[in-house]
Amino acid sequence: MGVNKTEEMVLNIGPQHPSTHGVLRLKVQTDGEIVTSVTPVIGYLHRCFEKHCENITYQQVIPFVDRCDYIASMNNDFGYVLAVEKLLGIEVPEKVEYIRVIMAEMNRIASHLLALGTFGLDVGAFTPFLYMFRDRERILDLFELTCGARLLYNYMWVGGLSHDIPVGFVEKTYEFLDYFEPQIDEYNNILTFNKIFIERTADVGILPVDVAINFGVTGPNLRGSGLRWDLRKDETYSIYDRFDFNVPVGQGIKGSVGDSWDRYWVRVEEMRECVKIIRQALDMMPRDGDVKAAVPKRIRPPQGAIYSRSETPRGELGFYILSDGKPKPFRLKMRSPAFTALSVLSEISQGWMISDVLAILGSLDIVLGEIDR
Amino acid sequence: MKRYFYNIWETITTLMIGLGVTFGHLLRIRKGNVTLQYPEERWPQPQREIGFNLDRYNVIRSRLHVDIDDCIGCLQCSRACPVDCIKIEFVKVDKGLDIGTTSNDTKKRLLVTRFDIDMTECCFCNLCTYPCPEDCIYMTGGPNSRKHPIDYEYSTYDRSDLIFRFSNVDPDQVARLTGQNELKVGGK
Ligand code: SF4
Ligand code: SF4
Repeated sequence: MGVNKTEEMVLNIGPQHPSTHGVLRLKVQTDGEIVTSVTPVIGYLHRCFEKHCENITYQQVIPFVDRCDYIASMNNDFGYVLAVEKLLGIEVPEKVEYIRVIMAEMNRIASHLLALGTFGLDVGAFTPFLYMFRDRERILDLFELTCGARLLYNYMWVGGLSHDIPVGFVEKTYEFLDYFEPQIDEYNNILTFNKIFIERTADVGILPVDVAINFGVTGPNLRGSGLRWDLRKDETYSIYDRFDFNVPVGQGIKGSVGDSWDRYWVRVEEMRECVKIIRQALDMMPRDGDVKAAVPKRIRPPQGAIYSRSETPRGELGFYILSDGKPKPFRLKMRSPAFTALSVLSEISQGWMISDVLAILGSLDIVLGEIDR
Repeated sequence: MKRYFYNIWETITTLMIGLGVTFGHLLRIRKGNVTLQYPEERWPQPQREIGFNLDRYNVIRSRLHVDIDDCIGCLQCSRACPVDCIKIEFVKVDKGLDIGTTSNDTKKRLLVTRFDIDMTECCFCNLCTYPCPEDCIYMTGGPNSRKHPIDYEYSTYDRSDLIFRFSNVDPDQVARLTGQNELKVGGK
C-alpha cells in the first residue's frame, strides 16, 4: 500500500451493535477501510460467576452455569455435573446418561442453528435466519415439554435429572428429527452454496491450524481449520463411545482450509452428526428406570480438586473445582471456549475490510455471557 | 474471462435455487410458519397431561404460589433458593395451642408471619419447589391449575406488585396465640 496510506482512525463497534452478538466492544484501528488492528473490550456482562459460586451450594450453582452460555445451557450443565460427579465419585443410571446425551445433542443443534442464522444475518442474509429460528423453536418446545423452561433449564442435576422425560417425548423427538433432516438441505440451498454468501465468507479470515492451537481455540473453530479434535471422540466422556458418528473438519471446499466458510460448514455437518447421535440414543435408551436414583441428598464432596472438560457447541468447556469438604465449592474456575475464540479475532482479522471483520466475528460464534461470566 | 462468466452463471443459478426455496415456502404456508397475532392468539402451552402423578409433577416455570395454610415454616424452600428471594419469618406458638394441621396431617408448630417472594429477583430455577415437605410451594398453572390457574401474561404496571406476600396472619392474631406482645421472630 505504502503511498496510499491514510491517517489511521479508531472506530468503535459496539457495545450496542447487532453484529457483536451481545455486549462486546471492538476497538478497530482502520486505515481507510482496511483494518490494521482489532482490540476486543469485554466485561460488560460480568456477573461475578466464579466468585458467586463460592457462596452457594453445588446444587445452586447449576442455574448460574445455565446463564453462562445461555444458548447451550444443557451442554453447560452437562459439563458441570460431570465435574461434580467425578469429584463425588458417583455413577449415574443408564437412562440418565442417555437422556443427557439426547438433551445435549438437541441443544447443540439449537445452538448451531442460532450461530448459523446470525452469521447469515451478519453478512446480509435475512431469510435463513428466520427459517433457522423457526426450527430452533421446535427444539425449545421439546425442552419446554420436558422441563418447563425454554432457555435456562436447570434440568441436569448432580447425580441425575430434575425429572423424567414426559410420555410422548421419544415419539415427538423422532418426529422432529424426521422433519429436521431435510431442512438441512434447505439451508444449504438457500445459504451455504449461495454464491454471494461464498464470496463474503470463503477465503476470509483464514485461521491456520497452528495459530488456532497456539491460541487454544477449540470446537468447530478448530475443526474448521482442519484438525480432527473432538472431546466426544478423543477423550470420551459419559457414553459417547457407544455412538457411531463422524467428526467433520474443514476441507477448504470453497476457498482455503480454515476460512469463515469452513467454520460455517463444520457446523452444518455437525448438525447431521447430532441427528445421528440422537437417533441412536433414542433407539438404545432403556425405557424405564429412576432418573433420581443416584441424586445425593446432600452434596458434600471430599477434599480435593478436579478438572473435567466436555465438548459444548463452542468447544472445550472445562471446570476446575477445588473442594475443602464443605457443601460449597472453595474455588470454581471455568474455562470458556468462546473466550479463546474471541482472543484469536485480532490475529486473523488484520488486513481485512471492516465488513469482513463482522463476518469473521460471526463465524467464530461467540457468546458474551460465557466470555464475561 | 471464462472465470468471469462462470461466476455470473453461478451467482444466477444459486440465487434461483435460493429463491425457489423461499417461493416454496410462500406456496405452503403451514401452521406455525407465520407470526402469531399475540393478543388474539397465544402460544400454546405444551400439553401437561403426560403420564406423571399430577400432584407431584411440577414442571412449569411461571409464577410461584404458596398454599400458606399448608406451610409449616420449615425454611427448606428459602434455603434451596440460590438468589435468596424467599423471605420467611415465623413465631413459635405456645405448647398446647392448636393452630391446625396441613393437608398432609402434619401438626403446625410455627405461625408464619411473613412469607414474601420477590418475583423480580426469582430466576425461575424451580429449586425451591422440590424440597418442600408439604408440597405447598409450586409454580402456578399446568397440573396445578385446579389449585391455581396460570397467570399467562404475568405482568403488572408496578414493579412492587411483583413482590407477593402470602402470609395471612395479622399481628392481633399473633399476640393472642402467643400470649406476648414482644414477638420473637425467627427465620430468614
Ligand atoms: S424458582 Fe428458584 S429463584 Fe425462584 S424462588 Fe424458587 S428457588 Fe428462588
Ligand atoms: S418448604 Fe414448604 S412448608 Fe417449608 S417453609 Fe417452604 S413452603 Fe413452607
